[in-house]
Amino acid sequence: MDNLYSLTAGELLSLLDKKSVKPEEIIESVYSRAQSVDKKIKGYIHLDKEKALDQGKSLPAAGRLRGIPVAIKDNICVEGELTTCASKILRGFKPPYNATVIEKLKSEGAIICGRTNMDEFAFGSSCENSSYYPTLNPWDTGRIPGGSSGGSAAVVSADEAIMALGSDTGGSIRQPASLCGVVGMKPTYGRVSRYGLIAFASSLDQIGPLTKDVKDAALLLGVIAGYDGKDSTSVNIPVPDYLGYLKNDVKGMKIGIPKEYFVSGMDKEVEGSVKEAIALLKGKGAQIVDVSLPHTEYAVAVYYILATAEASSNLARFDGIQYGYRCADPENLLDLYERTRGEGFGAEAKRRIILGTYVLSSGYYDAYYLKAQKVRTLIKNDFERVFESGCDCILTPTSPTPAFKIGERVLDPLSMYLSDIFTISVNLAGVPGLSIPCGFTKNGLPIGMQLIGNFFKEEKLFRIAYTYESNTDWHKRSPGL
Amino acid sequence: MSIKEEKVRYVARLARIKLTDEEVSLFSRQLDGILGYVDKLNQKLGEQSRTPPTNHPHTASNPFRADEVKPSLKSEAALANAPQKRGDFFKVPRIIEE
Repeated sequence: MDNLYSLTAGELLSLLDKKSVKPEEIIESVYSRAQSVDKKIKGYIHLDKEKALDQGKSLPAAGRLRGIPVAIKDNICVEGELTTCASKILRGFKPPYNATVIEKLKSEGAIICGRTNMDEFAFGSSCENSSYYPTLNPWDTGRIPGGSSGGSAAVVSADEAIMALGSDTGGSIRQPASLCGVVGMKPTYGRVSRYGLIAFASSLDQIGPLTKDVKDAALLLGVIAGYDGKDSTSVNIPVPDYLGYLKNDVKGMKIGIPKEYFVSGMDKEVEGSVKEAIALLKGKGAQIVDVSLPHTEYAVAVYYILATAEASSNLARFDGIQYGYRCADPENLLDLYERTRGEGFGAEAKRRIILGTYVLSSGYYDAYYLKAQKVRTLIKNDFERVFESGCDCILTPTSPTPAFKIGERVLDPLSMYLSDIFTISVNLAGVPGLSIPCGFTKNGLPIGMQLIGNFFKEEKLFRIAYTYESNTDWHKRSPGL
Repeated sequence: MSIKEEKVRYVARLARIKLTDEEVSLFSRQLDGILGYVDKLNQKLGEQSRTPPTNHPHTASNPFRADEVKPSLKSEAALANAPQKRGDFFKVPRIIEE
């Protein structure tokens, strides 16, 4: 038998059903793997084997994820466990309650196996903005894993966790999934409760799965999705049986290819792999049509106005009074606030708070914030038009390039922001997006494609992704660690 | 619109963040680049006087819940993460001058 850590949740669950493996054996296998490879990857921030084994001893009698170790991004609250958003300002913070997604995982028997690294407060696309250390890409440790959920993507890719949760505000699940060669999904806004997710941009944030294959993504989303009275933006629409939609069949499904996502100068290997994937789906009976999302070029600008404005407001709560870091010997209250925040936040967090405060400040609000909200309407209308024309999904590359080198974009924030150019519109519109491996560069770096669906139509994305995956074997490759 | 160092200092004060001189100079340059990018696109797009703003992906209506008394966080749990506390209170520097 293969090493247990290398299996998917679906494979492990069938072994558990047959009683041919015990939950503690899975935990032991995953932890010994993490112990041997995480020195190279640094995907985890907090890892506690004893606590995981304790959870394994008191599992519910039944559950859709019974005995499966799931890694959790460091911005999702777990009661009594360090939850720090990879920030100095939250060092030592232990939430007094669980996020709703954690309650759901536990009630289905999942084992919370560790906390994964991220860009501080999810501000970044490379994991280099963590206040702990950067996470490295399992396929080439000289390169970044993507971000901000880079730790979650890296530990799944490196077989240090069976599955993981991340959060996605502008591509923070899909881009690292693409760069690390795993499946990642940002659900429709409102599909998954944000209660207990430490807020970055409340009108854009969603929690979602990072997994080794499409079936596991469908399984994990099915567990965490659903209405929650504790999140006023969660939507009360029944959760479909996503696993029931996993059929190797796309006959008659209509897939739109937006010309704005295939522009001159894009990475040739990315373009080639995505075009081959389109041809494969066409060969399986999908109808391929050209579509247009004309306001695509404005998305990054709109996003960095709205997301920083919302972040500057959300991060006002980190003031050194109720939890987290407090500066030493403040002269007065103002000094306490200013030095706590000046010393506690990293450079990117400060940059975004300053930008967000600026665009909301008197005299600039209309020119930046209100204008961006209007252009957001145009971007959302673009997607609605394409789906109203009968498309089941829109297919694009997930990221314009494969994983870039460590340090390459650190000094130029705009170039870092532009690495999310294909994922950001999806958050602005609020629709779901899924990234799935669709090839490798000649240097062995993973390439991902993105499937974008209509509101609350995640099941269609799973079906198309499952069909693609059933006819390719990219997802079976693993990095040689 | 460019963002001058003086402006960065002013906004940092609004946001209650103490910046070093190096940070002020660096952010001023970097934010200039980012806002320049935004301005260029803004100009190209022109005025959007008739487009309504979107602040939320779904048509939002305020959800109400029943006004019932339920258990809430105990003060012990609420204070557990406090950097400084005294008794049942968060301890802060003096706010009202003598």
